[in-house]
Amino acid sequence: MNSAKIIALIVSAATFVTLPYWANQGIMFLAGLVLIEAIFALSWNLLFGFTGLASFGHAAFFAIGAYLTGYALRAALGVPFLLLILASGVLGAAAAVVVGVVLLRRTTGIHLAIFTLALAEVLRIIIGYSTALGREDGLASIPRPSLELGFMTISLNSGTSYYWFLCVAFALVAWLMWVVCHGAFGRILVSIRQDPERASFVGVNVPAYRLTAFTISGGVAAVSGALYAPWAQIVTPESAHWIHSTQPMLASLLGGAHSFFGPIIGTVLFSLINYLTRNLVGLSELVIGVTLLVIVLAAPSGVAGLFKALRTSYATKPGAGAQREAS
Amino acid sequence: MSGFLNVAGVHKSYGAHHVLKGIDLDVGQGETFAIIGPNGAGKTTLFRVMTGEVAFEKGTITYDGRDVTRTSAYERVRLGMGRTFQVARIFPDVTVEENIVVTIEARGRAARDGTAPWYRVKPSGSLVDEAHGYLSDLGLLAKKDVEAKFLSHGDKKRLELGIALAGRPRILMLDEPTAGMSPMDRSATIELIRDLRARKNMTVVMTEHDMDVIFGLATRILVMHHGETIAVGTIEEVSNNPVVREVYLGEEMYGAEG
Repeated sequence: MNSAKIIALIVSAATFVTLPYWANQGIMFLAGLVLIEAIFALSWNLLFGFTGLASFGHAAFFAIGAYLTGYALRAALGVPFLLLILASGVLGAAAAVVVGVVLLRRTTGIHLAIFTLALAEVLRIIIGYSTALGREDGLASIPRPSLELGFMTISLNSGTSYYWFLCVAFALVAWLMWVVCHGAFGRILVSIRQDPERASFVGVNVPAYRLTAFTISGGVAAVSGALYAPWAQIVTPESAHWIHSTQPMLASLLGGAHSFFGPIIGTVLFSLINYLTRNLVGLSELVIGVTLLVIVLAAPSGVAGLFKALRTSYATKPGAGAQREAS
Repeated sequence: MSGFLNVAGVHKSYGAHHVLKGIDLDVGQGETFAIIGPNGAGKTTLFRVMTGEVAFEKGTITYDGRDVTRTSAYERVRLGMGRTFQVARIFPDVTVEENIVVTIEARGRAARDGTAPWYRVKPSGSLVDEAHGYLSDLGLLAKKDVEAKFLSHGDKKRLELGIALAGRPRILMLDEPTAGMSPMDRSATIELIRDLRARKNMTVVMTEHDMDVIFGLATRILVMHHGETIAVGTIEEVSNNPVVREVYLGEEMYGAEG
């Protein structure tokens, strides 16, 4: 990581952590959503940007985590919150294994996208019919839990304390994903994205790596859902809707899918656009549409790619200038 | 049947098109075995059958005394079969060095030798040193930080050879190693393969169109025509074979006689 990146990281972290001191409740709520959606986007981009697989139904995994946690908290089962998050991740990962074993065997490209889209819609419709899960109304008034750390118990009942919990959770998950993406495992995923056949001819078991990536991705998406339920305090079938599945895609494309931080940048930008155009009905969609168009046409590698290109051109400029002077 | 790589009675069809009609071959350890033949003879299909890329109807493949007929491509690689493609296949979006590093890591992870755990963000020094070793063998060390897609055609071919070598193959399968190269690059590649094969004690199987390359490297040649073997032997044996002269060099012979 270069120094510019580290400074940007420190500034963003400070902005998010100190936010409750200088922003109102509404903005804090949106910032919390950004953290949750950013984890969701990171999980999707592990597949798309790093493994070269496109899931168009990722909201299903988010919903699995959100409904499990929401249901358990409402039922007051007494399960520790951290265990609930873990269970959500395991359930999401298990669902991803089942889907992955069936789908990844035969399909990768557009077929995988359509199949995952269809499966997510099926899940959404099933939730809509399930009385236990509140049918179309969803699960409302989900209580915020306490954090039992063994030696102490922290109540996350207030918005501010849960917000800080989200900051910590985001940092942990993002760090873990960073290591997954940049370690030896991630490098092999990237080689699969570039040329699966070449990868298999360096001895990589491509289907097994793809399935592992799919499993991690499903698990992390479910964790983001689990974090969401007590924050929004309501979970509806909309969380499994295909429109929600497009959120991480748009964020990753806007921010830059081949960059780890791209999906996070994209999520922040989308929320900013949404917030700044909140009083102008329909304008946010227009702005997002135009932004995406510009990105796709002018900067196919997203905002992160744009930064990189600018830095490269800045770095080469002095040399070019010297050459001009010499001639 | 005593050979290192043995192909016995392999048949392969694409639909009604019978591409391989009972191919047998036997490559001994340390040999450089070339498969030649006119376009459409089935060389590349035979190559893909040997590397495990395509399934086939009938026949067996034995490698190092083990039946690998149903062994998938990546498992054959783990058993020591390295390969290159006719059009160089490299990892275009990462640097030359990373191309080799990821290959070494894949080898280490497949062997579960603990050299490349999932969380190892910075590859170990010894791993990088090994990668640099291959790159200096190939004359690519100075370009190690270049993104691979920006390499010239010849450098891409060399890098791909490096990727194959980084898997520490015992048998190196080269599909037209000098295809599309300039004459200078071509003779450099012949030298390179000759040198590597001796130093790393490798068996080589290759397909090739260029006769200079074949005469420069091959210890034995198999000539294919319409999916059948028409001759196999040393360079002298094959070039004196009347059938080969007719089908493979037919036009030239015809011209000379006419």
